Amino acid sequence: PPIADLENTISKNSDVVSVMSPAGCSHVNGFKVDNWKQNLRLIYQCFVWSGSVETRKRKAKSCICHLCGAHLNRLHSCLHCVFFGCFSKKHIHEHAKNKRHNLAIDLLYGGIYCFVCQDYIYDKDMEQIAKEEQRKAWKLQGRSPLLLCIGEKYSMWEPTKRELELLRHNPKRRKITANCTIGLRGLINLGNTCFMNCIVQALTHTPLLRDFFLSDRHKCEMQSNSCLVCEMSQLFQEFYSGHRSPHIPFRLLHLVWTHARHLAGYEQQDAHEFLIAALDVLHRHCKDDNGKKANNPNHCSCIIDQIFTGGLQSDVTCQVCHGVSTTIDPFWDISLDLPGSSTPFWPLSPGSDGSVVNGDSHPSGATTLTDCLRRFTRPEHLGSSAKIKCSGCHSYQESTKQLTMKRLPIVACFHLKRFEHSAKLRRKITTYVSFPLELDMTPFMASSKESRMNGQYQQPVDSYSLFAVVNHQGTLESGHYTTFIRQHKDQWFKCDDAIITKASIKDVLDSEGYLLFYHKQFLEYE
Amino acid sequence: MKMEDMSLSGLDNTKLEALAHDVYSDLVEDACLGLCFEVHRAVKQGYFFLDETDQESIKDFEIVDQPGVDIFGQVYNQWKNKECVCPNCSRSIAASRFAPHLEKCLGMGRNSSRIANRRIASSNNTSKSESDQEDNDDVNDNDWSYGSEKKGELIQSNPNSPRRSKSLKHKNGELSSNVNPDLYKYNYSSGISYETLGPEELRSILTTQCGVVSEHTKKMCTRSQRCPQHTDEQRRAVRVFLLGPSASTLPDSDTMLENDGYDAPDGQLIMSRLQWDGSSDISPSDSASSKASTNNSESKRPKKKKKPSTLTLTTTGSGGERDKGQERERGDRDRVVCGGSGSSSSQNALGLSSRKKRPKLPVPPALSIYDDLN
Repeated sequence: PPIADLENTISKNSDVVSVMSPAGCSHVNGFKVDNWKQNLRLIYQCFVWSGSVETRKRKAKSCICHLCGAHLNRLHSCLHCVFFGCFSKKHIHEHAKNKRHNLAIDLLYGGIYCFVCQDYIYDKDMEQIAKEEQRKAWKLQGRSPLLLCIGEKYSMWEPTKRELELLRHNPKRRKITANCTIGLRGLINLGNTCFMNCIVQALTHTPLLRDFFLSDRHKCEMQSNSCLVCEMSQLFQEFYSGHRSPHIPFRLLHLVWTHARHLAGYEQQDAHEFLIAALDVLHRHCKDDNGKKANNPNHCSCIIDQIFTGGLQSDVTCQVCHGVSTTIDPFWDISLDLPGSSTPFWPLSPGSDGSVVNGDSHPSGATTLTDCLRRFTRPEHLGSSAKIKCSGCHSYQESTKQLTMKRLPIVACFHLKRFEHSAKLRRKITTYVSFPLELDMTPFMASSKESRMNGQYQQPVDSYSLFAVVNHQGTLESGHYTTFIRQHKDQWFKCDDAIITKASIKDVLDSEGYLLFYHKQFLEYE
Repeated sequence: MKMEDMSLSGLDNTKLEALAHDVYSDLVEDACLGLCFEVHRAVKQGYFFLDETDQESIKDFEIVDQPGVDIFGQVYNQWKNKECVCPNCSRSIAASRFAPHLEKCLGMGRNSSRIANRRIASSNNTSKSESDQEDNDDVNDNDWSYGSEKKGELIQSNPNSPRRSKSLKHKNGELSSNVNPDLYKYNYSSGISYETLGPEELRSILTTQCGVVSEHTKKMCTRSQRCPQHTDEQRRAVRVFLLGPSASTLPDSDTMLENDGYDAPDGQLIMSRLQWDGSSDISPSDSASSKASTNNSESKRPKKKKKPSTLTLTTTGSGGERDKGQERERGDRDRVVCGGSGSSSSQNALGLSSRKKRPKLPVPPALSIYDDLN
């Protein structure tokens, strides 16, 4: 039976150069006659991969073992005649012996079993048909397994014969293990460009973005070679190349300055601004990917939007008639005021409004990220000098405004407003703000607010994990940016331009924090 | 397990749980079977062991965690001699000075329109060869090579920057010494004659300036790309005329038009329009959250996100290219002759440059580890 064969083939393979037992077998030749292809296709369509509701129903009803009536038990269909038999009770084996029908197909995964070889075999032609039918069925089902893979089943890479040969002759590999440097690389400072380097590190360690580019999903339609998305793709290649010397991102700088003129100029700049500008240019260039015209104002489904774009809901409530006017704006980051700035900050005591605190254990009095978020989403009385025209009252009335998250992006970026530029003073606010490794955004969602108002249960929202922290050291006039990034689940590294060193979680959590990047834990189907 | 048409409503909890458990274990078994098939297939087709790495390769890429070296085991501070080729001018530039070079090369800095004008001046000026001028540009990129300039000349002949003094010259040497005094015959509002310019220079100029050719003087307008005297149509037309039909797809002119909104006086960062649930015209780059989170006291400030420069004359004494760059910037600002920015205070000039460049937060890097290890 198959397990014994598996052991055989494994031991054969431990001799690197030994010849593989052929994946196919000669016993299929008896089957490959006349209209066998069409017959095989039918079997796949009807009994293995059901694309539509009808075929699924038919499969469920008609596929039972002819001997024992079982639906499961690894049901197989004979390839030579109409017979279903389960594998576990050997009913299909009986049939094969009695009728001398050598081939059967597993109805769950479509594998073809040869009773003479007593093993599953992989015949090239039959495999081809199987793949096509599987793809057809997936298209029919129209499911998107991942947000990124719309309508097309994700299939693992399989090498061709030629590739197999090449790979066997060249056994050296660049394999990503738990303790390896691949994916990490320093960046040369091009002259006060640490603001760019720190953002590049954060982006290249955004898992979904990395996966998108490493699986080559960007199909460029720009005529010139000034596509920033292509350059991003190239950047990932550089990071995963295994090179140890730092990368020189001069082309990236050139492209960003070309496409985001407002950033231009050799002077020290703000990392947060660079992030927004870079996302914007990437988003614009990505639009070509989906065949959407640049002037299509509607929802874009480019990778940038899928990963970074959230929706911020702003509710303005009239104090007189209590009518609410709601707008939802897209956002790529949430900018949070800090205590110590000239804008008043009321640190709310944990749990004062009954909402969940993120299990922060912080030294007494230290402000937490959750505090900042609570302040961000608090109802704010707009004051008598800022009356809003109320459509219910048909007059100007005082109102309160409240912000909540309508939709959270997969990657949430929090911007701590450390640089103050009021008319009187310009300074950097160095107040320590503690931020957690895991963040629960439930209390700040628009849906939670509604639930609270209706006295209903707050549906918990997926938690977010910290994966990158951009820090600014120095003063407003002179400073330097570095980034902590997370790799291999729980390893952290400090990226200081060209120098990458290992960091501890404590280093990360004790740092001041300027830009905090959180990644959603679980992805959902659309 | 036989499948029957059975109603679930009549069953009690135990039976339902048992059914659920059956379904669950079937699913788990199926999943395991799937994995077995994957492995079996990979082994039989010969690619199961393909990702095995030799010990040597594994050691090669192992993370190093020791003081004084990075994760690759390399000592810090050995990357000083990296070079790169400028995508714009194809010259080889030291990597750590690429940014200042690029600024000039793309014609983006406050300095560069003057440099462009200077090139034009030199091409008309027989007393100086163009290559000399180019060398002077190079000197701008490098540090502290005074060369053969006339140091004193500019200072006396420049009426527009009374603050220039000999002491500043020491810190900001290369600038004061390299600019041709003839330059100051070119007032910012006069024009450039396009006939004498090569395509590269034209391209460079057209990335920062309006460029529309005046019918009277036959010269190109040197105001910014948003100059109110000419329309976008005119600007597009002159680009097509001077650079060929492909010029209309120059990313510069296109993005410049788009990015103009970015400099809009009301401070809105309007680069692209995204509808969001049909209720908003704002792009995420408008930093909606940033605007939204300001409270009353902040709203009294001018809406533009002004981040005025506060570069100070810090002489930190470290062997820093950065210091010099910093000084250079300030010096430039003092001497830019442009409409509207005649402020004599270096600290405010940045915010008021005629290009209406959006003021940024200047964060010159502090002493970096390179400096420490110098």
